[in-house]
Amino acid sequence: MMRINCPYCGAREHSEFTYGEDATRTTPDSDAPMEEWNKFVYQRDNPAGEHIEYWHHAFGCRAWLKVQRNTLTHDISWVGLPHENPEATS
Amino acid sequence: MSGFRHGLGRLGDAHLNFTFDGKTLLARAGDTVASALLANGVEVVGRSFKYHRPRGVTSSGPEETGALVTIGSGGKADPNARATMEPVTQGLEVFSQNCFPSPKFDLMSVNGLAGAILPGSLFSAGFYYKTFMWPAALWYKFYEPSIRAAAGMGVPPKVADPDIYDRINSFCDLAVVGGGAAGLTAALSASQSGLRVVLFDEHNTLGGQLLNETNSAANTDLEQWRLNIIEALQAAPNVKVLTRTVCWGRFDGNTLAAHQSVDGKVRQNYHKVQAKKIIIAAGAIERPMVFGNNDKPNVMLASAARRMLNHYGTATGKMLAVFTNNDSAYQTAFDYADAGIKVSAVVDSRQYPGQVLVDGCKSRGIRLHTQSVVTEAKGWQAVRSIEIADLAANGQSVSNRRRVTCDVLAHSGGWTPQVQMASHGGKPPLYDKKIAAFVVGDQAADTYSVGAAEGENGLLKGVAQALDAATEACAELGKKSGAVTPPPQDRDGATNIVPLWSVPAKGKQWVDIQHDVTAADVIQSHREGFVSVEHLKRYTTLGMANDQGRTSNVNALAIMAECRGISIAEAGTTRFRAPIAPVSLGGFAGREIGQYFKPVRRTPMQEWHEKAGAVFVQAGMYMRPQYYPQTGETIDDAYERETAHVRQKVGICDVTSLGKIEIVGPDAAEFLDRVYINMFSTLKIGKARYGVMLREDGIVYDDGTTSRFAEDRFFMTTTTAKAGPVMAYLERCLEIDWPELKVRVSSVSERWGAMAVAGPNARATLMAAFPSVDFSNEAFPFMGVVQAQHNGAKMVLLRISFSGEMAFEVYADSDHATDVWQSIIEAGNAYDIAPYGLETLGALRIEKGHVTGAELDGRVTLGDVHMDGMASKKKWFVGKNLKDREGLVHPDRPQLVGLKSVEARTPIASGSILVTDANATAGADKQGWVSSMTYSPELCNYIALGFLRGGKDRIGERIYAAYPVKGRTVEVEVVSHHFIDPTNERVKG
Repeated sequence: MMRINCPYCGAREHSEFTYGEDATRTTPDSDAPMEEWNKFVYQRDNPAGEHIEYWHHAFGCRAWLKVQRNTLTHDISWVGLPHENPEATS
Repeated sequence: MSGFRHGLGRLGDAHLNFTFDGKTLLARAGDTVASALLANGVEVVGRSFKYHRPRGVTSSGPEETGALVTIGSGGKADPNARATMEPVTQGLEVFSQNCFPSPKFDLMSVNGLAGAILPGSLFSAGFYYKTFMWPAALWYKFYEPSIRAAAGMGVPPKVADPDIYDRINSFCDLAVVGGGAAGLTAALSASQSGLRVVLFDEHNTLGGQLLNETNSAANTDLEQWRLNIIEALQAAPNVKVLTRTVCWGRFDGNTLAAHQSVDGKVRQNYHKVQAKKIIIAAGAIERPMVFGNNDKPNVMLASAARRMLNHYGTATGKMLAVFTNNDSAYQTAFDYADAGIKVSAVVDSRQYPGQVLVDGCKSRGIRLHTQSVVTEAKGWQAVRSIEIADLAANGQSVSNRRRVTCDVLAHSGGWTPQVQMASHGGKPPLYDKKIAAFVVGDQAADTYSVGAAEGENGLLKGVAQALDAATEACAELGKKSGAVTPPPQDRDGATNIVPLWSVPAKGKQWVDIQHDVTAADVIQSHREGFVSVEHLKRYTTLGMANDQGRTSNVNALAIMAECRGISIAEAGTTRFRAPIAPVSLGGFAGREIGQYFKPVRRTPMQEWHEKAGAVFVQAGMYMRPQYYPQTGETIDDAYERETAHVRQKVGICDVTSLGKIEIVGPDAAEFLDRVYINMFSTLKIGKARYGVMLREDGIVYDDGTTSRFAEDRFFMTTTTAKAGPVMAYLERCLEIDWPELKVRVSSVSERWGAMAVAGPNARATLMAAFPSVDFSNEAFPFMGVVQAQHNGAKMVLLRISFSGEMAFEVYADSDHATDVWQSIIEAGNAYDIAPYGLETLGALRIEKGHVTGAELDGRVTLGDVHMDGMASKKKWFVGKNLKDREGLVHPDRPQLVGLKSVEARTPIASGSILVTDANATAGADKQGWVSSMTYSPELCNYIALGFLRGGKDRIGERIYAAYPVKGRTVEVEVVSHHFIDPTNERVKG
């Protein structure tokens, strides 16, 4: 059981959370061309190793969190709020 | 009959009765089924998986390969239980398995003979795969039935398990896996730090290998050491000792999973333990020697024969022989001889076992055969003698074969550290030549492996390691561990092993006794190219029985490595995965079974519906009235009556299950403009608007009605199914995408009861129910919103219609919702009000052509459901950028249409395929599908909604709705999806 250290609630089992999405993508501008939106919606990296993801503390405080997780080991090295980044706080 | 009672061991003299295949036998309190069967002279306990060979007790622990039994009967029957792990209780029923009519005389044992005669043998390596290659027709007719009849283990019970299982979540600072000398020491040392400690051991009695030791005067101090530690642990308030608890898996975040067997109302507890530090002291398990007929009853592991005698007071035979390639098995011979049981031979494959052991044999009058091997165990069923021979110096051949009489053969092929738990962290184990076994490689974080589990087998050294680990673990948690007196005597472990992986002689040499895999199967697997250890495992099914290869793995890998001419380290081992032991599914389910499988949500009006005789149906998480049958009515009668009643008079329906979200803040209108395709910033206070949301990819996500209570306050409804997901989506948008918007969203689904009042008499009914509200068209027009009070109830009234009739939705705070419902019913009686259920709700909306979850299935675009005109061109919204992609606006896409049975009373099945050929068969051109259907009392016709390729332009066409599963094809006419009142006269009236 992965444990996610929610900044509001403390360390909780991952079954309290739902996976949201890749947090490394940037939403295109509203008037960006369709190709750019197409890429944003459909193109995904599948990195082996460190990854940054959004998780929703659905059965807790309901905050959306940014989580740095190693996809190979499931080690979670950093958890923050959506506007934060691992580099900034470490 | 060879085993018998010999002394008390550590058991008391309290007696119990149990039955084996219906026959009553005597046991002592503390016996396992295995020790009690042996004490009663039972040799053949069951028959093997594939060849139906007689099998008996081979071990004294979780590695048992032979004595698999069924415990209990009826729903409580537990098949494939290991007799070595099941404590005998008064009246326990035990049954042999996989044999008919009895384990001693089994008709299916001819399988073994067939194996010897047929080339390749019916059940040899890879037989599953090869059998599938034979003519397919034969598989169903012959092979499958005959293999099913022939191969197998216990029979699962046919009735539901009546026992209760519990799930327990807990936390601790330190978890210690294994209650042998090392584990006991670690737990006691750590307990003195005040930290919370949990100790797991799968046996009934703590002590691990210490239980193999005699309880005699010479060992009093060692036994007392064990008892003192157990007493201290049990007295410590911060230590939880879980015996009969198999810790079977280690997961991310230091989570341990364990099943605990308990006596009482609950049969098992499933523990999920969150530990800060883990000490693995899982011990080591002896592995067998590989020689001819080494699966015969009364061939057992040397340590097991010893534990049977010393702990359970059960001599396993009247004449013992020992076969070994290391020192540890000698102690079994010595203990038996010292107990006055004849030991006919010690056969050691090594050249010289050392003077101490040679002298030990000599002083007891035991004949020692060095540089010798057992080539074969002999006897009709159980062992009655062995054939031994001299082993050539190169280990490749034998000579000078001779017979030795014995009725039990204790063997030891070395010791295998239990590395599974330590390996679950993903770190592969490493081969240690010194002990000829795999040991833990890199240690996972926060984990320590100590004692025999670590590969180091001496008692004092293992205990010292445990102390070190406890000290370090406690120190890292900021605490100081305590001292523990070391054991008063030392014990050697698996020392001085000279590996002999298989005896160079003919005969069936079993590697995986439980799955009937022989050394020849491993060699055949190599010959046929399945040489990787993972392939070997799957091709031969080696290590896949419920002992999970505990005794067989290393031997098999070694034989394969030998075939390939590589080292065992190079061959490697298969990956260990949880669970390491068979665990019951009951524990995982816990109490969440049957009606408790998931929580049921009820609306405030539940009791009223029950009194009204409603039939309920689960809709999402809610129980909702499906229909309210009158005497003698079928479901069809009821919904047709209810539907007609709404269209003619007035009906009331509980719609509490809709998702309700309050959206508040200065930017609330802007926020809604972004998530809905249509404009909400222009919505006037006191008005509601139907809205549609798209996903980022341009597909329709959800729909609902949102009303504006104030400049900065909106009230959104969602579909029942999407209530949760939409809420999470809105939160995501605000927290991640648009944190600059000053908006708060909160789910108020539980705060409001909701009811729809629909029909020509709806307005009159509500006027009578709530005289303070002005229901005139001017004050309360279509899509109007009114907030009101009624007898203390807070209400919101919306003039919206899902049915196509004049209708209102009334929201009342949950505490008063039933009162409000009751008031409407009482006022409505004058207008002939009747409740209607989910069936009628569906019938009405289909007649009106409204879409719901059945249509908005995550594949449809706005255009598909004729809503493309709704999308605002003046603003950006989610999904706007991609909704007009070529494929999403193609005129040939399946589009929403109405379908009408040409034969009025012929139903159109939901899920039917739309085709143009009445005799369409598989492979026909599928032009669409039927999404929902109903009988329309208004049209006196079965109707349906569906999606038809290019459907917008095909009104009037006649096609067919085919339902090939049931062989039904119905001719339908394509019509507008607005079956009734397309101009909305009724709702505005």
